[in-house]
Amino acid sequence: MAQLRQDFSKFQAQETEIIVVGPEDAGAFKEYWQAHKLPFTGLPDPTHSILKLYGQEVNLFKLGRMPAVVIVDKQGIARFAHYGHAMSDIPENEEVLLTLQELNEEALQRRTA
Amino acid sequence: MGKRIPLEKPAPDFSLTDANGQEVRLSDFRHKANVLLVFNRGFV
Repeated sequence: MAQLRQDFSKFQAQETEIIVVGPEDAGAFKEYWQAHKLPFTGLPDPTHSILKLYGQEVNLFKLGRMPAVVIVDKQGIARFAHYGHAMSDIPENEEVLLTLQELNEEALQRRTA
Repeated sequence: MGKRIPLEKPAPDFSLTDANGQEVRLSDFRHKANVLLVFNRGFV
């Protein structure tokens, strides 16, 4: 989360909205967001509706939810998904930013074609 | 193991209230911004 905050302006430059979804309730989110001054959206999902919809994995042996990252482009199409197999299995911001840049270039080409 | 979403298909829409009480709907970002959905592994 700290890395996302650090690179927030780079994501903005790629016209990208960051939404962090978690199973905690609104109170826990609010507290965490205020304490860490996070500039992006925090979405409490205590009923796990989105988490289930997007298939976030729960590893019972490692006692927890595995991280996952999904990119949705401006057409609403899912273009990239990374489902982690370990707590630390998260794609680097650089990789995600590069993917976003490619999507934006592709969208631009489509518009000018 | 959960069911993963297919790529190159419309992402499942959702609507939930964010930590500040604002409604967030995925489809509201259509034609405006890309969306990076981060499924958190819990606050640490």
